[in-house]
Amino acid sequence: MNDYVVLKNINKHFKDFHASKDVNISIPKGRLAALLGPSGSGKTTILRMIAGLENPDSGDIIINGRVVNNIPGSERGIGFVFQSYALFRYMTVYNNIAFGLRVKKVPEKQIRERVKELLSLISCEGLDDRFPSQLSGGQRQRVAFARALAPNPQILLLDEPFAAIDAKVRLELRTWLKEMITKLHITSIFVTHDQDEAIEVADDIIVTNLGRVEQSGTPQELYSRPATPFVAQFIGNSIPVRNFDKFRFFEKDGEDVTAILRPEFVRVFKKGENIQFSKSAEEAVVEDIIFRGSNMEVRVRLHDNLISSSRSINEPPVDIGEKVDVFIYRLFVIDGDRIQLVHNPSLKQESVFI
Amino acid sequence: MEIRHDGGALKWILVTICFIFLAVFLLLPLGYIVATALGKGIEAYINAITDEYAIKAAMLTVEATIWAVTINTIFGIAAAWCLTKFAFSGKKILSTFIDLPVTVSPIIAGLIYVLTFGRQGALYSYLDSYNIQIIFAVPGIVLATIFVTFPFISRELIPVLTAQGTDEEEAAALMGAGTFTIFRKVTLPHIKWALLYGVVLCTARAMGEFGAVSVLSGHLRGKTNTLPLYIELLYQGYDFTGAFAASSLLVIMAVVVLILRLVLEQKGKKNLDIRK
Ligand SMILES: Nc1ncnc2c1ncn2[C@@H]1O[C@H](COP(=O)(O)OP(=O)(O)O)[C@@H](O)[C@H]1O
Ligand SMILES: [Mg+2]
Repeated sequence: MNDYVVLKNINKHFKDFHASKDVNISIPKGRLAALLGPSGSGKTTILRMIAGLENPDSGDIIINGRVVNNIPGSERGIGFVFQSYALFRYMTVYNNIAFGLRVKKVPEKQIRERVKELLSLISCEGLDDRFPSQLSGGQRQRVAFARALAPNPQILLLDEPFAAIDAKVRLELRTWLKEMITKLHITSIFVTHDQDEAIEVADDIIVTNLGRVEQSGTPQELYSRPATPFVAQFIGNSIPVRNFDKFRFFEKDGEDVTAILRPEFVRVFKKGENIQFSKSAEEAVVEDIIFRGSNMEVRVRLHDNLISSSRSINEPPVDIGEKVDVFIYRLFVIDGDRIQLVHNPSLKQESVFI
Repeated sequence: MEIRHDGGALKWILVTICFIFLAVFLLLPLGYIVATALGKGIEAYINAITDEYAIKAAMLTVEATIWAVTINTIFGIAAAWCLTKFAFSGKKILSTFIDLPVTVSPIIAGLIYVLTFGRQGALYSYLDSYNIQIIFAVPGIVLATIFVTFPFISRELIPVLTAQGTDEEEAAALMGAGTFTIFRKVTLPHIKWALLYGVVLCTARAMGEFGAVSVLSGHLRGKTNTLPLYIELLYQGYDFTGAFAASSLLVIMAVVVLILRLVLEQKGKKNLDIRK
């Protein structure tokens, strides 16, 4: 296989706390992977073990086919961008980027060329003599990126690279980082707790929860085929529905069985608008309407559940308090650890009428 | 910075109290020292401070101070570094023990060493067989001085190092920098001013130490008398000119250290701006 970074059955404890539980990960060469999970789920721990900043209690870390457990982080060919950037605050931008090259005793002339090249790559020409405290958040992040890249690492690790940046610049930087990494074709892993960020930037997503890897796959795979209840909950604008057997046609076999509903599983019709599913839709009242630019988010109350759906702005508008017809196409049914996509049974029958 | 703008009266009362306090407790005695030292004329003063034993006492004070500051600097950096950058068991205990010297009376500190290294101590015969004398000798004085100034440097460094965290060091280590390079290029610039400030405090304290040193010195004139002990000796012998002249030496040394401290504080503040 051309899997470049592989973690095999990794376990890690901090005293009594089990921070990584039997973690298995493999990332192909040149891919951009995201470690996605709630805060405290062990993402940073995994990243630090790959970098050699922490040692696993058991399991193998394999880079480019070689077990690196006993190889110091500095010899693993890794560039690391820390969550708070960890720029050397008593060094200028130039010296920050040059640091790794100086340590490797690269001739000063080559260093000058490399720093210049990187400064232009991150569009920070002319900032050579600034100190980190004299840079904006976005500039700091890009300098940290350049510093990590300077010694030409094979792997780039980034811990919450956008967390410390204001929302507006963050979107720009996301796109920028994705472009950079794609252009450089460097195997990269970044940590985030923001699913939009992971979905937009990453080729592959590894979802972590409570120290475990719940699922890895492309964003589409995670979205359409969540392997565990946690992933179904975590990805998408999912809302839990306990009493889904109240929805017309849906059945529930067992008290503890629950379901997860996403906006795209639901359709809201104005009265009279609904022809296709007239028999199987249910009446509900609009509670809230939120303008989302290209569409409207409509929230309706159905059997005590506040359910979101979207309506195109090209469709006739609905009002708050208006009675509407709601049709549920499908939902994820969760029974213990198992998850199953269940379609509305009436879909088959109704198609007969058309 | 103005805390409040309206409290004109309160402000002046407080300022006046501070000045009166300083005048009574500091300036008056200092003036008295100078006056008494010069009381019998400048010649007597110069004779007193160029006295063979006075010079020897001053030299010994400087020697003990240099030893104490050097050793405590090394120890202080090491202790502060390992307390802030590593996780290990026994950290709390180490941290508590560092503070011990400031909570224990210096006399006790002196007695601890007398009991450990003196004739009745367990180590005495062993050291004696190598002809090493600690009690009533210069090593004892140095030991006592080190003990009482033990926490000064590490206590200055610990807050600075804690605030900095370990990210920068880790970043440098990942790029392949060795421990010494990391210390020199990343940590040292950060703690430089705190370290110098700690050294100044340590120096000031080391120069003036009386209690612990007094127990260990044996008061051998010209051999184991530091300046503070020498002053005490002259004073007990009713040689006021000599005692106050020697005191003025100590005061001059203290003032130099104070000025250093001021300069360092100013520089340290400017430095704060860079690290934001
Ligand atoms: N050095 C450490 N000592 C003790 N506990 C730690 C240490 N590092 C992380 N942890 C614990 O491990 C868990 C996972 O941490 P982390 O990997 O940083 O999570 P994430 O990056 O997903 O937010 C957290 O509960 C954290 O408290
Ligand atoms: Mg983290």
